[in-house]
Amino acid sequence: MKEKLREVADQARELIAACQTANDILNAKAQYLGKKSLINQLYTQLRDLPEQDKPAFGQLINELRAEVEQLLERRDQELKQATRELHDQTREQDLSLPGCFQPRGSLHPITIIRRRIEDVFIGLGFEIAEGPDIDDEFHNFDALNTPPDHPSRNLADTFYLDNGYLLRTQTSTVQVRTMEKYPPPIHIISPGRCYRNDKPDPSHSPVFHQVEALVVDKGISLADLKDTLQNFAQIMFGPQVRSRIRPHFFPFTEPSAEMDISCVSCKGTGCRICKNSGWLELGGAGMVDPAVFKMLGIDPELYSGYALGVGIERIAMLKYNIPDMRILYENDVRMLRQFSGETG
Amino acid sequence: MRISRRWLGNYIDLPDDNELLIRTLTFSGIEVEAVEELPALPETVLTARILTAEKIPGTDHLMACTVEYGGSNPVQVVCGAPNCRPGMLSVLALPGSVLPQLTIKSAKLKGVESHGMLCSERELGISDTHAGIIELDVNTPLGLPVNDLYELPDTLLDLEITPNRSDLLGYLGIARDLSASLGTPVKFPELLPIAGADCPAIDLKLILEDSENCPRYTARLLTDIRVQDSPQWLKTALIKTGLRPINNVVDITNFVMLETGHPLHAFDYDQLAPVEAGDPQPAIVVRKARPGEEFVALDGKSYVLDDQALVIADGQKASALAGVMGGKDSAISDSTRTLVLESASFNPCSIRATSYKYKISTDSSYRFERHLSPALPVDASVRATELLVRVSGGKVCHALKDAYPEPERALYLALRPRRFTELIGYQLEESAIKSYLEALGCRFVQYGAWQEEPLTDPALIHCHHAEEQKAGKTEFTEIDCDHALYFQIPPHRVDLTREADLLEELARLAGYDRVPQKTAISLIMDRHAHRVQRAIVDHFALAGFYEMTNYSFCDPAQLADLAFPSEELDRILLRVINPQSSNQSAMRISLLPSLLANLSYNLNHGERNLKLMELARVYHRDGDSYTEPLFLTALCTGQAAPEHWQQKAREIDVYYLKGIIESLLGSLNLPVTATGSMPRPWLVDAENLAFYSGDALCASLGRMRSETLERFGIDIHKLKQDIWVVEIPVQNIVEATRGISTEFQPLPRHPSVVRDISFVIGLNIPYGDIQAAIKAVDPSLIQAVSIFDEYHGKQVPAGSRSLSLHLFLQDSEKTLTDERVDQTVASVLKMLSAAWQIKMR
Repeated sequence: MKEKLREVADQARELIAACQTANDILNAKAQYLGKKSLINQLYTQLRDLPEQDKPAFGQLINELRAEVEQLLERRDQELKQATRELHDQTREQDLSLPGCFQPRGSLHPITIIRRRIEDVFIGLGFEIAEGPDIDDEFHNFDALNTPPDHPSRNLADTFYLDNGYLLRTQTSTVQVRTMEKYPPPIHIISPGRCYRNDKPDPSHSPVFHQVEALVVDKGISLADLKDTLQNFAQIMFGPQVRSRIRPHFFPFTEPSAEMDISCVSCKGTGCRICKNSGWLELGGAGMVDPAVFKMLGIDPELYSGYALGVGIERIAMLKYNIPDMRILYENDVRMLRQFSGETG
Repeated sequence: MRISRRWLGNYIDLPDDNELLIRTLTFSGIEVEAVEELPALPETVLTARILTAEKIPGTDHLMACTVEYGGSNPVQVVCGAPNCRPGMLSVLALPGSVLPQLTIKSAKLKGVESHGMLCSERELGISDTHAGIIELDVNTPLGLPVNDLYELPDTLLDLEITPNRSDLLGYLGIARDLSASLGTPVKFPELLPIAGADCPAIDLKLILEDSENCPRYTARLLTDIRVQDSPQWLKTALIKTGLRPINNVVDITNFVMLETGHPLHAFDYDQLAPVEAGDPQPAIVVRKARPGEEFVALDGKSYVLDDQALVIADGQKASALAGVMGGKDSAISDSTRTLVLESASFNPCSIRATSYKYKISTDSSYRFERHLSPALPVDASVRATELLVRVSGGKVCHALKDAYPEPERALYLALRPRRFTELIGYQLEESAIKSYLEALGCRFVQYGAWQEEPLTDPALIHCHHAEEQKAGKTEFTEIDCDHALYFQIPPHRVDLTREADLLEELARLAGYDRVPQKTAISLIMDRHAHRVQRAIVDHFALAGFYEMTNYSFCDPAQLADLAFPSEELDRILLRVINPQSSNQSAMRISLLPSLLANLSYNLNHGERNLKLMELARVYHRDGDSYTEPLFLTALCTGQAAPEHWQQKAREIDVYYLKGIIESLLGSLNLPVTATGSMPRPWLVDAENLAFYSGDALCASLGRMRSETLERFGIDIHKLKQDIWVVEIPVQNIVEATRGISTEFQPLPRHPSVVRDISFVIGLNIPYGDIQAAIKAVDPSLIQAVSIFDEYHGKQVPAGSRSLSLHLFLQDSEKTLTDERVDQTVASVLKMLSAAWQIKMR
């Protein structure tokens, strides 16, 4: 019996020392400590011993069992520790090699600026309204108080289609359509494509983009227009930018104005870009002409409103220092790649 | 706070309609959080007397009782209540009575017949008390329907009182506020002057040491008090408000607290010690506790106090934690003959600190924490005294003892009607302003510029910003008080200290629904379309595409190059009458020619890997009218992802573009329900795909033919790269996704199991069919099927391929067993064998 005990003990020590995985440990546990284990068999054999030997051998088996348990636990901890050390070992690698990623493309600068303008106005409580590029003379001219013989209606200025319609020359058409459909209060911007029969040059394009704003409500005054212009200029170009309006003429506004901002390049001291004036022209604006309201069935005694319009290309050129509008329509990916870092 | 409609009705005429009452309360700022109806009980629930009560043998608590309830013969009732005994008066529900929780029937219990039930308060639905059957005053007439005793039916209202309104913590306060909303007067209980008798043997020394924390302390002495059960009306009132009746003295202090909102406390005079042994008079000392001073509260718990706690002490030791809880030793007991009635005012901060520190919150501390004015204790004391004399037969000794070293000054506020219009948005008549504020207890004093003369009492007048101006840098505009109404603020409204507070009162009493709405929202913008359009472009930009912006024109000759059928062109093409050149002489019907030109331009500038896209309208003639559908078209060639030192560059192929489209539609919650082909003259046959969600075409893709490319100046012999096109009809996606929104699904509670299968199958069997067929084997269990390997080559017979798939199995009800998984996989393989004669690898 003593012999047998020693044999089991030696085997167990050897086996446990040879364990290499958590699974080995489990198997060893089953072999020595489980229900049908070698140690349990020793307990069974205890029965056959003479009565006086039983306590001493029982004690020995208990000690063996305790030793095996301890060895298993120790080996288990050793293996876990080894795994931890392996896990935390520094790997041989060159951290200066480039990372792996899908390079972003880019939005077109016109889209980037359009979205920024939209977001400025949405933040100011405006909604976006859209309308067709192709429209009729009523929405593009008549409803905007443009006299029938006004030169802007000429073929030299406006594109006409073979179905009797024209390509809108400004997004004011959307203002007209909105006022036809919705009662005041109206706070909208209408961004979109516009068309004028201009030959492409550094500051002209037959197809271009505009954002117009229209507010119709009770008690709207020129002061509100100035507020919106100043808010827009500062959010768009920075807190140091100043704005002003100058008297002008448009058929659909009375009074009418042109909007300027202080030059974003020289900060108003005068430079090539602002032709030494310190100011940059941003677009046209004014209080909606009562005749426009009347034509659309809005009571000009009850309501007043302002409209303003800016060119997206012009703002993109100012903002990104692009010297020629035609660059925007070349769609050269070497140009577009420069805008990968601009969020829309 | 829980109030009874019937009790409230004692102080003000209420609208019959409960809904109207609830609406009035809620919309004047007293939110009704819950409503509990106490229905009338049947006429067969009556007062009754227990004549005999004998224990039923073989039970441990059941009694067989004979009960009389007037008129007819006594009945036998079995009762198990511990307090059931002969001679007591209780409530009997006769057979057939329908109670809130049960219906009474004649029955046999342990062989004893029972013809009714003796009831607890809970069984009648009037409180939660269920310790025993109801015990009524012995003088109550028999056979009286309990509706009269408990004032049923009734409605209980749970009110949320905001923390600024200490005045609403009593019935009278609620009545006062309602009176302002409803325009009906409050019926205040009459307070008669009380003449105290001369009582040479009974007197009290009142010492107010800490007037900062106790600005006012009043004590009333009453003697010849008989402490006993309260009369039924008093019990009923307390029970409905959720308080347990104790004895007539304690009940009266509680009743007056609920009525006036002002907590009171009564001490047993004979338990109060004098300051010095031998003094003829006991004392009440309002002081800070001595450090380490012990105090045993009413509930038997003892506390060791520090020197921050304000106590009401007798000559020796603390008898009460001021405003929080009384002490055990000085509590009113059955043997109390003489009592001291405390009605005082405490500093809310002190009460809050004590309540917080010793973790005791009581009806009393709750009210004092919310600030009760020192002007209020006297009325509450007078009311309680009058009730004590009436109910407990007491006699009043001496005049009220009133320690009030620094009486509060009256507060006058200026209110400019113009300011109401500016702040609230509409004009309120001056007469309405006056009547609302007067109903709240404010006193209109004068109109116009302030004159000091009419006021005799010391007053605070809040009109100017004088104090604030000293505090800050900002120069506030001087308030023009020449056109103001002046009101004296009643002491119960400690929350009214500025003009803004008065304006708030007026706005809420007149009703927030009177405030005009300036602008209605016009909802012009299609926000959904705006979001989806941006998401689509952003998706392509993130995948490496560059956005183009081209003119809206096209060259009709180029459309012919695309092999657009000429009759289709005639039908939809819109021509420009005055074009700048012939290649801009029509409106675009597709974005593809522009993008091909962009591709050619950029290839000519040395770029090889190009991903281009444009989001724009195209223009179609439609009879006399026209449409402007919005498209995103993308054109790409070369590498899908750039080469990397770890990985070779991946070329653009059909699976790359399919992935872009599938992830786009997935990001928009738009399931692809079908795919099909999209043959176009410019696309290679059988290498094009259309994606549908329902009937809506959502996207299409294809590989460009060499002939078309060469016509657009792209030399495929030199380029040696495929060119792919994707077209997305944006408006279809906008409409298909409108109204779709993510709906949270409960997370699966059981783990999912993944099993892999590999098999050899004919090359002609599309994977999509295989995937669908596998899912159909057990749609509730097989959550997903995904492919992780495809092989065709030498290892498998010609004309076939080997596929390796993951099956994701999950049961929403229970954890999957291995048997169930094995069975399911076996059914899948069996189905595959039967359908397509697969072979296992």
